[in-house]
Amino acid sequence: MPSRDDIKKSLTDSFKGAIVKMEQPIDSRLFVDIHKEKVREISNAIVKMGGRYQVSIGYDNIARDKTLGLVHAFAFDRENLFLLLRTSAPADAPVFDSITPDIPNAGWSEREYQDLLGMKFTGHPKPKRLILADDWPAGVYPLRKEIPWNLMPPAAEDVAYQLDEAPAGCTTVPVGPFHPTLHEPAHFAVFVDGETIKGCDYRGFMTHRGIEKLCQTQVSYNEIPFIAERICGICGSVHATAYSQAAEMAFGMKISRRAEYIRTIMLEIERIHSHLLWLGVAGHLIGFDTVFMQAWRVREPVMWLGERITGNRKTYGMIVIGGVRRDITPEVKEDILNVIKKIETELMTIHKAIAGDSAIHKRTKGVGALTREQVIDWSLVGPVARARNVDIDARRDLPYAAYDDMKFSVPVVDTMDVWGTVVVRILETFEAISIIRQALDKMPNDGPILTPVTEEIPPLAHAISSIEAPRGESVHYIITGENENRPERWRVRAPTYPNLQGVPAMMMNNQLADVPIIIGSIDPCFSCTDRMMLVDMQSGKAKEVSGKELEELSRKLTTGR
Amino acid sequence: MEIAAIIINVTLFLALAPLFEGVIRKITARVQSRQGPPVYQPYLDLLKLLGKQNLVKGNWAFSAAPAIALASIITAIAFVPLGYKATFLTGYADVITVIYLLTLGGVAVLIGALASKNTYAVIGASREMITIIMVEPVLAMTFIMGAVKVKSLGLDASVFSIAVSGYSWSVAVMLAAFLLALQAFVARQPFDIAEAEVEILEGPFIEYSGPNYALFKYYMMLKQMFYAALFVTMFVPFLRTGYYFADLGIQLAEIFGVFVLISLIGSTNPRFRIDQAVRYYAALIVLSLAAVGLSVYGL
Repeated sequence: MPSRDDIKKSLTDSFKGAIVKMEQPIDSRLFVDIHKEKVREISNAIVKMGGRYQVSIGYDNIARDKTLGLVHAFAFDRENLFLLLRTSAPADAPVFDSITPDIPNAGWSEREYQDLLGMKFTGHPKPKRLILADDWPAGVYPLRKEIPWNLMPPAAEDVAYQLDEAPAGCTTVPVGPFHPTLHEPAHFAVFVDGETIKGCDYRGFMTHRGIEKLCQTQVSYNEIPFIAERICGICGSVHATAYSQAAEMAFGMKISRRAEYIRTIMLEIERIHSHLLWLGVAGHLIGFDTVFMQAWRVREPVMWLGERITGNRKTYGMIVIGGVRRDITPEVKEDILNVIKKIETELMTIHKAIAGDSAIHKRTKGVGALTREQVIDWSLVGPVARARNVDIDARRDLPYAAYDDMKFSVPVVDTMDVWGTVVVRILETFEAISIIRQALDKMPNDGPILTPVTEEIPPLAHAISSIEAPRGESVHYIITGENENRPERWRVRAPTYPNLQGVPAMMMNNQLADVPIIIGSIDPCFSCTDRMMLVDMQSGKAKEVSGKELEELSRKLTTGR
Repeated sequence: MEIAAIIINVTLFLALAPLFEGVIRKITARVQSRQGPPVYQPYLDLLKLLGKQNLVKGNWAFSAAPAIALASIITAIAFVPLGYKATFLTGYADVITVIYLLTLGGVAVLIGALASKNTYAVIGASREMITIIMVEPVLAMTFIMGAVKVKSLGLDASVFSIAVSGYSWSVAVMLAAFLLALQAFVARQPFDIAEAEVEILEGPFIEYSGPNYALFKYYMMLKQMFYAALFVTMFVPFLRTGYYFADLGIQLAEIFGVFVLISLIGSTNPRFRIDQAVRYYAALIVLSLAAVGLSVYGL
């Protein structure tokens, strides 16, 4: 693995003419501005050096220099380095070379900006519509600044997404848009020969509400953490922390160590919750409802604990820019220790039962197999990658909050299948328990839990932050606003976004009966991917709705009256 | 009295099958640390479904299938002795009749599923068909072993064969095969593959609702109790008093025991894939063939 300096040097040497400038606001963030002609070549060089593709960020810069900007983000996990490859193209001809042919995971990001910003990517293998509804008019690019946030083009009939052609001799089995395997709307068209899967097409983003657009135009910096938290019902703190960290980095501020410790504790409580929840769902998906019920019984105290610490069972509302909103008092600390002790004992029982259950092995071993190379090619993250012998974990590799003070191991197994993801997740839960204990033990007693923003916010500052969510790495990118008290651009990439792109490869040649657990094994969160939400932004106020009003409202919606 | 036995058989089954279903649900719930619905919940489910609008697909096969399924299982019940007392019909039937009737029920499910033309139903139907083909031989071998023992294909002769001959190696092997196949006979985990909620959304029954679905549900409950009763009658025939009603009571208690077993196995296993199940069924067929082979040599 090359060091940070080697990476810089190698890029400057090989692409002298193409690089406009390099910036390194802090040691772990390297921004490289390049001419767009070389984007594919340089991206490939970065991947060759060991860079892992994370996400692309497209933004509208027309007001300033009549261009559309594009950032490809890469991470060097061993070096704790984010490499941001920035380029731009004139708005009247926003054509870039596609990097998807070599880096398949960029496929969705590029399709996203094709839909939302009107960019074109030459050489993209599947330039179909990804995010916009099928009846959205062509030529209207909602993420451009000239398009108002509340534009509602008239709905059109008789338009539908054209699914990929099924391979010869195969029938198409629809899994979705509504299907008990999926707890949210998404559509997998699975092509089967008998019961063997020969391919699959995906159409998702059915609940896309444009949360990024909303936050770029309607709210202020301090409100976004609460909206970010509602991107996902399970990893709310993850998104709030990722956003807050990115913002703090862009502002150039530091928060107190105690606040970082509390963030760490919240993130790990969330991980315990998420993994227990997943274990239950996975049990249900292979038709083993006893695992489902027992895992959720064990999960219950975590939600009690959430309420004890924050007042909410889930969607804690704890994390804001500058720190956290509530302190952990000695009494709460006592409760946390008791609850995790109980969970640890009960989870050990479950772990033993599952590890020795040959029937579960039958349903998960060898299912959804991928090779290590495929995982790296597809830039998959989280337990999905770690179950296939790819040793990455943002907590250790790209440390944030108080993780640099924690001692923990990153469970990695080489079974290459769904069973591996079960093992990894259970072991990670034990690690999470140990991290919480360490954090409570080492937490400094002084320091404000909330540091106010006092300095002027620098305009158009770029910052990126990633968090190891229970499902994998979650990446947030921010460009600060110029005159308004809100980001110019905020890009969210939840872990399901890359992992879902790897699902077709996992399904190949498996049985139809394995579809639920394969999709389930990435712990999919379509709402994260779609970035949806339900907040009344017009008044900007939280309104209490009584049960009766809610009932009337839903009746009105159903009957259209 | 023998005609009364038919009425008693059918009435007991119709009255108690939902109760035993409720027992399964209750035990499963307890294993899963849940409260569970009251044991009489399945009666309420049936009543509720019967009171709903009947949505039909518009072809006669779709509408007829549930009735055929229910009729076939009730007929089978009328033939098979309960409380160690042959009914009026038992003497008129041989083992082939019962196998036919049971297969007819499965075929009715298939017809209903195929008539509904739903993708999931068709997948469910193909899985159901595989299950029928692979599991029915175990049932057939059970009867044939009995027939070999008493040298008669008559239903009563075959069913009471173990009561007459006592346990032997062949009976032990067949008992094992029957127990291993029990979850598949009653379509419970790990062999509820044809219904598989999270994969194919109850498969063959996806398009059914209201009274039609109630008939199918009732059919499934009766079938479940039928196999439990058959197991008890054939393999555990020794707890008997000679008094008809006392025997009925004992046998129902034994059936209850079988249901406890079914729910415990069902709640501690995930669902198998059809390809895994097929390998399992194939082993069962070999096992049951071995039992018949042993019985031919008088073992």
